[in-house]
This record gives sequence, C-alpha cells and structure tokens, in this order.
Amino acid sequence: MADIVQVIILGLALGGVYALMASGLTLVFGVMRIVNLAHPIMIIAGAFVSYWLFTLYGLDPIVSMPIAAIVMFCVGIIVYKLIFEREAASAKYSEMTVLLTFAVAMCFDGLLGTAFSNTQRITSPFYATDAIFLGDVFIPTGQLYAGIASLTVIAALVAFLQFTRFGYAIRATTQNRDAAQLMGVNVGLVSIITFGIGVGLAGAAGALVSFVFSFFPAKHWEWIAILMSLVVLGGMGKLAGAIIGALILATLAAFVSTYIGTTWSTMTFFLALFVILLVRPQGLFGDPLEES
Amino acid sequence: MAKLLEVEDVVAGYGRGPDILTGTTLSVEAGHVQCIIGPNGAGKSTLMKAIAGLLPLRSGAIRFNGERIDGMRPDQILRKGICFVPQERALFGKMTVRENLRMGGFILDDPRALGQRIDAVLEAFPILGERATQRAGTLSGGQQQMLAMARTLIVEPEIVMLDEPSLGLAPQIVEQMYDIVHMLREKGMTVLLVEQNAAVGLANADRGSVLDLGKTLFEGPASEILSDPRIQELYLGKPSQVA
Ligand SMILES: Nc1ncnc2c1ncn2[C@@H]1O[C@H](COP(=O)(O)OP(=O)(O)OP(=O)(O)O)[C@@H](O)[C@H]1O
Ligand SMILES: [Mg+2]
Repeated sequence: MADIVQVIILGLALGGVYALMASGLTLVFGVMRIVNLAHPIMIIAGAFVSYWLFTLYGLDPIVSMPIAAIVMFCVGIIVYKLIFEREAASAKYSEMTVLLTFAVAMCFDGLLGTAFSNTQRITSPFYATDAIFLGDVFIPTGQLYAGIASLTVIAALVAFLQFTRFGYAIRATTQNRDAAQLMGVNVGLVSIITFGIGVGLAGAAGALVSFVFSFFPAKHWEWIAILMSLVVLGGMGKLAGAIIGALILATLAAFVSTYIGTTWSTMTFFLALFVILLVRPQGLFGDPLEES
Repeated sequence: MAKLLEVEDVVAGYGRGPDILTGTTLSVEAGHVQCIIGPNGAGKSTLMKAIAGLLPLRSGAIRFNGERIDGMRPDQILRKGICFVPQERALFGKMTVRENLRMGGFILDDPRALGQRIDAVLEAFPILGERATQRAGTLSGGQQQMLAMARTLIVEPEIVMLDEPSLGLAPQIVEQMYDIVHMLREKGMTVLLVEQNAAVGLANADRGSVLDLGKTLFEGPASEILSDPRIQELYLGKPSQVA
C-alpha cells in the first residue's frame, strides 16, 4: 500500500512540472491554432537561463524562475514578430506554422548546442537531493518544490485568464476570433502577447526542469512527444485539460517505471498518444471533432 | 438630416476572389432604422463586414460622422461608435450570458459602470436575466439573438448594424426582435439592418436600400419601396400584374 502511495506522490509531483511545461503549449494553440513544436526547446532555453544564473551567481532556480520567464517572454515576442505575424493573414496559416515552428526548433537547437554543447547539465540547489519522510513514504524535496512552484504559476495563470480584462480578451479570442474583434479586442495584439506568455511559461518551466531533470539542447525532441501527449489527452487548447492530462500521465508513467521498468516510462506517453488519437481524438475535455 | 454613415463606391471581395461589392453606395441618416434588402448572395453581409472593418476595401470610401473609417481595425471602428451583430451572432458559446455581456462592454474602461449596465440589461430582458449564469451556447436561437442585440446596449453605440436578426426565428419571436430594434432607436441609436423577409424588414424601417449584384439599385423611404411595383415583383415576391 505504501508503495502505491509512494508512486502516486512521485507521479503527481512530476505531473505538476509537466503541467507547467504543457500549459504554454496549449494556451498558444488555443488562441492562435499554432502547434508550437519549438515549445520544448524554449523550455530548455529557460533551463539554461536558470542554470547560468545558478552557476555564475548562485541564484536559486526557483528564485530565478521569474527571470527565466521574462527573458523567454521577450524571446517569444521577437520570434512572433519576425516569423509568425506576417503569416497571420495566410489561408494556410495552421499548416505553415507547423513547418515554421519546426524550423524555429531546429535553429534554437543548433544555437544552444553550439553555444553550450550537448552535455548533460543540472542545477543542484541544496534541496534537489533531499527528501522528506512521512512514515514509510518519502517525498523528494526538489520535485515537491518544483511541483508546488509549478502549480502556483498555473493558478496565477488561471486567475489572470479568468478575472482580468486581458484574460477575457484571450479567452474570447480563443473561442471566437471574429466575435472578439467585434467586441473591440485587438486580436493582433492579443496574439503577440499570448505567444509571449506561452513562451514565458516555457521559460518558467525551464527553471524547474533545470533541477528536476538533467537537460541538454537536443533533449527537446523527446519532450515534444511527451508534451503533445499531455495536451492531446486534455483536448488541444484546453488549459484545465492539459493540467489534468499531465497529472494522469505522469502518475501512470511513475507506475510503469516502478512495476515494469524505468526504460518503459517514457513509452507510456507515446503509447498514450496513439491510444488517445485512436479512441478519443478530441481528448478528455475537447469538443467532438467536426466531420469535414 | 445629417448623414451619419456614408458608403461611397465601395469595391471589395474576399482574398484574391472576384469583387463582391462592385461600387456600392449607401447613406444612413442619424436616428433612422434603415433596412437593406436584396436576394441571396447580393453582398449584404459583405457590405456590413466591410463597414465593420472585417474586410478590407479594394477601392472607395466609408465615412462615419464625416471621418474616414475604412482601413481602421474592427476594434477601432467599434470605439468610433459602430456596433455590428453579424448573421452568425458572434456570441461566445462557452461563456455565460453575463460574461458575454461583459465582453460586450470590453471597450469600457470603468468596471463599475460596466457592472451597472450589465445589471440594467439583465433587468430589461428578464429572459436573459433568468439565464445569467447559463452558457450562451445552450440558449435557444431566439434567446441567442436577443442576447446578441441586448449586448449592443452595453456600449450604447451610435449605430447598430444587424445582419438578418430574424434568421431562423418563429414569426412571434421575430416581432420581439423588432421590438428591440425600436427600443434601440428610442434610446437614440441608429439601426442599419439586413432582412431576408423584405416585407417585414421594410414595415419596421424608416428607409430602405435595395442591393443586388454588389450595387445599390435604389434607396428611399421604406414605404416607397414597399409600394414600388418593380421592387415588389423582384424582391417582395409579388407579381406586378396583381399589384
Ligand atoms: N468568406 C467568404 N469567402 C469567399 N466568398 C465569400 C465569403 N463570404 C461570402 N462570399 C461570397 O460573397 C457573395 C456575397 O455573399 P454575402 O454573404 O455578402 O451575401 P448576402 O447578400 O448576405 O446573402 P444572404 O442573403 O444569403 O445572406 C457570395 O457569392 C458569397 O459566395
Ligand atoms: Mg448575408
């Protein structure tokens, strides 16, 4: 019994981090229909921001999370301005953006690989290797803090979307772009800022990733599939769905890792992606796909 | 009377497609209800989208209170005082009735005033008031149209454009819609509407415009259009011999 509780705790803590990693991806898809394949490399870029702040100045990665978020927010705005804004009027926008985000991912992969080489790195704040014991169950403090930090950021994001004027504008644009425009929303501006927020969330997630996992630039290829499975399980563009998807799949992966083998835990996400697409392509919370 | 809205020789179309509006001219006087009639595909909805800024012009001009508004973004045009309820009603299906009204007042900067106006609208339309927390997508067609029209009251624009407000509604409900149209006018707003059922639309309007093949064929008092035998034959579905 304690074993099972242990696995669930480990799964949920990691799931919290996955949830933050996926939130920006699903937000950007919801508002702009952009499947941002460059999202995971942005997470790694954010991880590098926190890694260097820790290595050079001893700044704790949780403390530097807002810095990583702001730096990546700016990167997101620049990338959007340079690449996506001019395509926004194109009829083939969605198809185009898949290729464009793929290209962006390649570029950042190359840049980061050249600058920092593809060696494994990890930030090691003092709590990263500690654990809290509750009877038979232990909670690794690094994952616990990361999970809590992650869910705090997500709660702030949800409050922002739910209660602020700009949040209303983002939600309205997600649901009905033309209608939002007719209500006086500057959807062009909403798109830029939302893309920035999405990439900023990747940066925030990167700060946590920097001490929860070891990372190197090329690792983002693996994460694309993992994050896509979370987002697809929850329903593309549904924030709550992505969070619940992350918690479910991370817990499942923890069970697989414990009872079948660590090497199989990543497979959980890939298999889940296949199964979801076959059985319920709209995900848990998505609207039924239109037949067209 | 002063011209509130003037459309001059407007040419417009979608993407790289053909011209849909082929030199449309239209003028709307302040304080009137003006009804645009014309066959399917005449370009009525296209004209409204062009005025609202959703479709760029290829040539021509649109003036509102004497100021050029063509080339402005839809949100800028709304702030000038033109509110557009498109044929598909532009509701946010997953937001509640109250949230939809909140979005209707998106451009208002004072949250207290906005809250008061929302409450006033919910009071004026008990059907909506009872359903304030219901998602807009689950309302009936008539209720949705009512919400879309009531929502324009939140910003109190100078002119409200309604594209086929009676589309798909039972005759009784259509009457209610026109009650709202008259209410808008009594509040000092000008109403420009498109109506498929020309007889009903013109009966409720002060002025009418006949649009066909992207051009305005006739513009004048609604009663004149209603009684014009040629227009009756072509657009009101009555053969002229009988009239
Ligand atoms: N989004 C679009 N893209 C391309 N062509 C369009 C688009 N919308 C309308 N059209 C074309 O423009 C022409 C005019 O359409 P419009 O919707 O303005 O007509 P309408 O007068 O409103 O007709 P209805 O009474 O059926 O609503 C039609 O030939 C239509 O096929
Ligand atoms: Mg139409």
